[in-house]
Amino acid sequence: MIAWVHERTGLDRVWKALFERHVPEARGPAAWLYTLGSASLFVFLVQALTGALLAMSYAPTPDHAYDSVRYITGQVALGGFIRGLHHWGASFMVVLAVLHMLRVYFMGAYKYPREITWMTGVCLLLLVMGFSFTGDLLPWDQKAYWATAVGTNIAGQTPVIGGVVSRVLKGGSEMGAATLTRFYAFHVLVLPALLAMVVLVHLFLVVWHGISELPERRLQDGDPQGP
Amino acid sequence: MSWYEQYRSRYARLKQAGKPFFPYAVFKDMVVVSLILAALCWLAYFAGAGLEDLADPTDSTYNPRPEWYFLFLFQALKFFPGRLEPVAAVVVPGVSVLLLLLVPLLDRGPLRHPLDRPFWTGLGLASLAAFGHLTWSGYHSPLINPTVEKDPLISRGIRLYREMRCAYCHKINKKGGNIGPELDRSAGSGSEEWLAKHLRDPQSVTPNSAMPKLNLLDDEIQALVAYMKSLGEPFTAEAPKLFTQNCASCHRIGETGGEAGHDLSLIGSARDKAFIKRYIGDPSKTNPDSSMPGFKGQLTEVQIEDLSRYLAGLGR
Ligand code: HEM
Repeated sequence: MIAWVHERTGLDRVWKALFERHVPEARGPAAWLYTLGSASLFVFLVQALTGALLAMSYAPTPDHAYDSVRYITGQVALGGFIRGLHHWGASFMVVLAVLHMLRVYFMGAYKYPREITWMTGVCLLLLVMGFSFTGDLLPWDQKAYWATAVGTNIAGQTPVIGGVVSRVLKGGSEMGAATLTRFYAFHVLVLPALLAMVVLVHLFLVVWHGISELPERRLQDGDPQGP
Repeated sequence: MSWYEQYRSRYARLKQAGKPFFPYAVFKDMVVVSLILAALCWLAYFAGAGLEDLADPTDSTYNPRPEWYFLFLFQALKFFPGRLEPVAAVVVPGVSVLLLLLVPLLDRGPLRHPLDRPFWTGLGLASLAAFGHLTWSGYHSPLINPTVEKDPLISRGIRLYREMRCAYCHKINKKGGNIGPELDRSAGSGSEEWLAKHLRDPQSVTPNSAMPKLNLLDDEIQALVAYMKSLGEPFTAEAPKLFTQNCASCHRIGETGGEAGHDLSLIGSARDKAFIKRYIGDPSKTNPDSSMPGFKGQLTEVQIEDLSRYLAGLGR
């Protein structure tokens, strides 16, 4: 039975390629820094799950957004908890992605042949920030509204293209219903699709090149192994 | 042989001699992921996610605090006042992201250990330190946020003013024509009703006015009135004196004044009169961390109003 599925899907070979592949051994506490990427991935999955649950009761219009969030917090079973997970998950996502980036940066793990892995990583970081920015508005409370007002204003200051950028973000020249719907569409459709795609490319490259080994000091003259 | 091939063969050797991803790496991942999940659940359960009052687009006195990881950017904005703001808001972050993207192309060569790359390690540490410092000081300073949008009604009024080409006849801030009165001198003193009537039909309140009837809609009139009222109201010659006597020991306007408080030379570009008035009366209500004393009781209501009008006009 299992063999039957394997023969038709190649799952066993996928498993082998992903999980039985070897990784260079990393000794000492620094080895734990290699978990930060997986941790980011995990929190992303938590966000996808809790986000889907929230979307089931959320209404993206200025008239109903705030009340629907109150409804989620007060009425929906575990609603407040799920909202809390999504809220804190957002901060965790940023922190973990940045810590992961710092690990890669200080270990020089972006060097040959992993340059493009790094660049896809930077795109991931920007996408994560985009999630944070668009998600901020959705509760449609005072903080949401005014933080977004400041944010879109900043975007509007871009030399030359600022006006266009701020219009595209707001869905017009004023912040209002169009802004909320637009941010919602970005937050639940556009950004997740992009993030999922870039994460896949990122992970493919990670597996393709193999995880980098711990960096070693350059051999000095006079070292037993010579320069 | 270039170092690329050397690296490839060395890495192949290390990988061969390494451990299988499962369970060697997966185990560590699981440990960390479990800790993170526990922390998340704890925070979600005990701290939850806040919800403030319903958004009120007309409340321009609301002081938004950005998410903490954007605080550094807001703090950085304060170093680039006025026209330089786009530099801090867009140009610096844009260039930084570009630089980040290009790091692997700029830092090449086989050396990977942080101590073997002093420049890049130093740059990384310096950026971290700057980020930490800005976040810290942003967290501890009152929010004077120069990019806060004013009342959207006022913004709409500004746009209408431009679209209707009012500046063909009127001056604001010394720019515009001479046919009509200078609006930042006179309009603020008219009552809202008077202004609304005047805009609907100038001759109805000023019989020999040279201003044409503009056929504005009610909400357009409202927006223009809001803009006119925001232009500032006349203050007395006493206001700058009040400032010198009561505020200048801590605050600066232009070149003169103290250093302990914020420079107020441009305060009018960030805050409207209502906010300033409330702040002077009792700072702790708006900003609990403020060390400025309240002036309610110290100065009369009339004096505070006078002072607020003066300050609200600075930097506009
Ligand atoms: C959504 C965010 C991200 C996810 C889910 C993610 C996921 C991962 C995972 C699972 C790995 C395997 C190695 C490890 O865990 O350390 C990895 C490696 C890597 N990541 Fe990310 N990453 C993210 C963001 C970033 C960012 C922001 C950067 C840098 C700008 C980056 C650059 C890299 C590089 C260069 C590697 C290869 C490192 C090596 O081989 O040692 N990643 N990523």
